Amino acid sequence: MDRTFFTTLTVCLLFFSLLGGAEASASGRLLIYAGAASKPPTDDAVRRFEEKTGIKTEVIFGGSGYVLAQMKLAREGDLYFPGSSDYMEKAKRDGDVVAGTERIIVYLVSAINVQKGNPRQILGLRDLIRPGITVAIANPEGVCVGTYAIEIIENQFSPEEKQAFRRNLLNYTASCEKTATAISLKQVDAVIGWGVFNHWDPARIETIPLKPSEIVRVGYIPIAVSRFTQNRKLAESFIEFLTSEEGRAIFARHHYFAKPEEAFSWLGATKPVGGEYAVPAEWLKK
Amino acid sequence: MNFRRLTVLSALTVLGIYAALIASLAYFFDRTAVAGALTSERILFSIQLSLVASTVATGLAMVIAIPAAYALSRHRFFGREVVDAILEFPIIVSPAALGAILLIFFNTPVGEWVQTHLIRFVFAFAGIVLAQFVTILGIAVRFMRAAFDEVPEEYERVARTLGATPVRAFVTVTLPLARRGLIASGVLAWAKAMGEFGATITIAGTMAMRTETLPIAIFMRLSGADIEGTVALILVLLVIGLSALYGARYFLRDRHHA
Repeated sequence: MDRTFFTTLTVCLLFFSLLGGAEASASGRLLIYAGAASKPPTDDAVRRFEEKTGIKTEVIFGGSGYVLAQMKLAREGDLYFPGSSDYMEKAKRDGDVVAGTERIIVYLVSAINVQKGNPRQILGLRDLIRPGITVAIANPEGVCVGTYAIEIIENQFSPEEKQAFRRNLLNYTASCEKTATAISLKQVDAVIGWGVFNHWDPARIETIPLKPSEIVRVGYIPIAVSRFTQNRKLAESFIEFLTSEEGRAIFARHHYFAKPEEAFSWLGATKPVGGEYAVPAEWLKK
Repeated sequence: MNFRRLTVLSALTVLGIYAALIASLAYFFDRTAVAGALTSERILFSIQLSLVASTVATGLAMVIAIPAAYALSRHRFFGREVVDAILEFPIIVSPAALGAILLIFFNTPVGEWVQTHLIRFVFAFAGIVLAQFVTILGIAVRFMRAAFDEVPEEYERVARTLGATPVRAFVTVTLPLARRGLIASGVLAWAKAMGEFGATITIAGTMAMRTETLPIAIFMRLSGADIEGTVALILVLLVIGLSALYGARYFLRDRHHA
């Protein structure tokens, strides 16, 4: 063993000790795994929370299922903030969130989204099966807004109409954001997304509300403390901020519904809220 | 520790890092999930789609890359430095950004015209090939240029003085001498295309039995929080990719010694 070997060893040990140090200093931070359905207001809320508390908050956005898998594999994270109830139910079943910490932040309603000015004159669900119309939905395998879309199609369309819809369905998008982008970048004529998508990109996206009878359930965005948190109090303080007047005002500014009644009023009917939907196998070829 | 031992240790460290990562898959290994993946119509389609798309993309890239690499290696021309610099463009901008750029291109009047009158790329098979092609073209030219650089120009000049045309000198002298390097570059480009994910998912979507390549299938398994299924598909991709690379290496070594 000579000097070169010990120098190499020292450099390696120094490198790994620095990594360890970075982890230790992260104890005063928050790490959130979030579905992309709430990205615009969550970005604002995190900025405001950091300003108020000085607590560095990092958010990993993605499909709700994808970020859940990331959180489980990384075995770290303080909060799970999926895009809808479906994946929160799975997280609760698997014990990935702390029981009793779940809170509903906002409510969402499914809608058709088209390009600004509605050039293809899509006025309702059945226009999506018109020959020549191109449609995309989010992949129901890991993106909650896609699950809602399939539920609507399964409930509203006859087998023949479903066939026609499938002919127009060009593809599945990989996330909530990519579903909105499919309209912004004119990849398709229409998507079945969330009613708020037009507020994400007002210059390019227009929302066509569905008929009340076509909506099966109103979605909601919940948040809960992750079982991997090292600082439950800190995690709960973020939930408290989101549910405070100030937090709710941020989501309201982005046109998310703070109460189910607001969603019912926009929709014009009262509907079941949240829950889970098992997507039929034909949409998820195994 | 002498210099030789230090370099060998570095080589073994490379093996150790990758072997440890692959071995870690055993932690979530599930024999049923692997068997399920290998008998699933959807996964077999994804494997076939990945193989076909990456082979087509590599073939198309080679058609442009071989003459382009030769030009960069042998000729001085206007814009040569810029061409040389732009080869790393796909690496610099990242695959996801590359996919976004492709989508943006298809929003321009030219892109819209191509989609309407020639071929549909967005959310289609052609989109997968395009994403892979754009990703590998630059590196294919870079590697192939290195292969041509290794062949002394002297040999071509001799062939020319013996009456060969530039094309004949290229085909009968330079190309055979650079062959091993060119094939190795093609194999690497193919492997890169096979594993391409970011640009493909952005332009071609994720639908099973339509545009779901093997890397996208892996992503979708993880999106469904199915970790055992994810591991099974990673193993399938690893076996296909490493077998192809090992096969190509064996073929090259065999031909070299023949």
